[in-house]
Amino acid sequence: MNISDTLFLAPELILLLTGFAALGVDLALRRNTDGRASAIVALVGLLLAFVAALNLAASGVNAVIASTMAVDAFALFFKAVTTIGVALVILASMNYMKGRSKYLGEFYALLVFATLAISITVSATNLILVYLGIEFLSITSYILAGFIRGDKLSEEAATKYFLYGATAGAVMLYGISLLYGATGATDLAAVGRALSASGANFYLGIAAIIFLVVGFGFKATWVPFHHWAPDTYDGAPTPVTAYLSTASKAAGFAVAARVLIIAMPEFATDWTNYLAALAILTMSVANFVALKQRSVKRMLAYSSVAHAGYILIGLAAIGSDPTFNGLNGLLIYIIAYIFTNVGAFLTVMAVERQAHSNDIEAYAGLVRRAPALTLLMTIFLLSLAGIPPTAGFIGKFFVLGAAVQQDMLVLAAVGAVNVVIAAAYYLNVVRYMFFVDEEDEGPQISLGGAGLGSALVICAIMVFVIGIFAQPFITWAGQSVNLVIAAGF
Amino acid sequence: MLDQYGLIGALTIIAFAFPFVGLGAAWLVRPKRPDPIKNSIYECGMETIGDTWVQFRAQYYLFALMFVVFDIEVMFLYPFAVAFDQVGLFAVVEAIIFVVMLAFALVYAWRKRALEWQ
Repeated sequence: MNISDTLFLAPELILLLTGFAALGVDLALRRNTDGRASAIVALVGLLLAFVAALNLAASGVNAVIASTMAVDAFALFFKAVTTIGVALVILASMNYMKGRSKYLGEFYALLVFATLAISITVSATNLILVYLGIEFLSITSYILAGFIRGDKLSEEAATKYFLYGATAGAVMLYGISLLYGATGATDLAAVGRALSASGANFYLGIAAIIFLVVGFGFKATWVPFHHWAPDTYDGAPTPVTAYLSTASKAAGFAVAARVLIIAMPEFATDWTNYLAALAILTMSVANFVALKQRSVKRMLAYSSVAHAGYILIGLAAIGSDPTFNGLNGLLIYIIAYIFTNVGAFLTVMAVERQAHSNDIEAYAGLVRRAPALTLLMTIFLLSLAGIPPTAGFIGKFFVLGAAVQQDMLVLAAVGAVNVVIAAAYYLNVVRYMFFVDEEDEGPQISLGGAGLGSALVICAIMVFVIGIFAQPFITWAGQSVNLVIAAGF
Repeated sequence: MLDQYGLIGALTIIAFAFPFVGLGAAWLVRPKRPDPIKNSIYECGMETIGDTWVQFRAQYYLFALMFVVFDIEVMFLYPFAVAFDQVGLFAVVEAIIFVVMLAFALVYAWRKRALEWQ
């Protein structure tokens, strides 16, 4: 590693300093009980890291640092998208978190450190750094999920998350040790070369894939490794849910894609079939369970698992087609999904803060009490359902297109049927908001302060920008995956 | 390669079977004449008095966590000190950054009163 390489690590270094600065501000100011100062420091740092990642991406850098971290277009795409996602969450959560915890300086610092963990994970080109990055991300996430001490649901969320995470981490580590035993290497490219050179041991490769996918599936909530997700998403503080279901999940997909494509090209037919089966399972199970939920937050939690299934179609239907190579669909879906899902959970947060309920009954007749919020929620729900001209449609178009292109017609058909099932429960919320009369006149619900309001509006604008002016995003995603696709296929 | 794993598999099966075979054989041939003295707890000290589910103070945990700061420091600085004359200026700067980060953790815990016994 050279001194000049530190320039390529600018987003990580900025995030590291920001995390410490957010804690330092909390130490220095005795009256930082609402964490506002830390939140502002965190916001500025995240935006700087976002700009740094975009700059690096624009400069077309493609370097490997200390032979463990790749600074390439693929990693930088995820760094840019997740920093902006977490920044939106922080912008929105200042009012909501006030009074719920005494340690809000640490809350914002932990969100920044979680973003740092994501940045490291999506860059990792070495199995050991993959594991360390995922653990770093998990441990910060456990604390965030249980941040409201004394709240039974929040504690349950953290405990379940921790127990599942520890188990999934151990299984993944076992898979890594099998790979190391077979190839004598931990570098992804070296593992890939060794597996294809020695007439690849079939059984060992399959076992390693299964074990590794447990770890990735846990992070990205693929059925059957999703059991923690509904309870954790439901019980965690809503800003943390918004972060866990988007940025954290994106990191799981990024690392899964890099490891499987770079280290396992020899087994491509095996893991694409395996992932296709998981995608079908994930979409179907999550959508059917979501149909029965009465709490909107819990319904969105299951919907978030279902979306992991749609995104997984992109990775399962990976190929070398220039327009629909699958991986670019995954990236487009993730950028669309981050703005949509953060927006949806932030709307839930605004309602929850003032109506003190997440039940669907609390949304009855919302259009009369909160017209602006109803309009925003409708936009996000339509985007989640994948209706044009929203961002969700573009994402679904590219992943399902890839499945058709790869002749995975069953996968595409199941995906399309699931889109229809999902529309039923998304539109049910819209029906409640517009057409169901509330039992008693609830309080007027505002947008919930300048921070939350502006975050919601930014999300809604981005949903339409990605949906209508999609070309720059499609181009960006395409450029980001070119090198990874070329390395594997 | 597969043969070697097969060998490990065979050994694993034998290892798992070993205690069951031994205990099973003893169970078949041994005389069975239990009495209260024989059934009492022995070799493990006294019978317990009171509930074994005691709550420990969370503060012990906090101190243990603070100890980890120093633990990590030693773990990395010791090899660094041994190879000090070979690693160059870059590693020295890296080590200083590392120590500053750990020191920050200690200062933070101190200022947040984590080191005071309550």
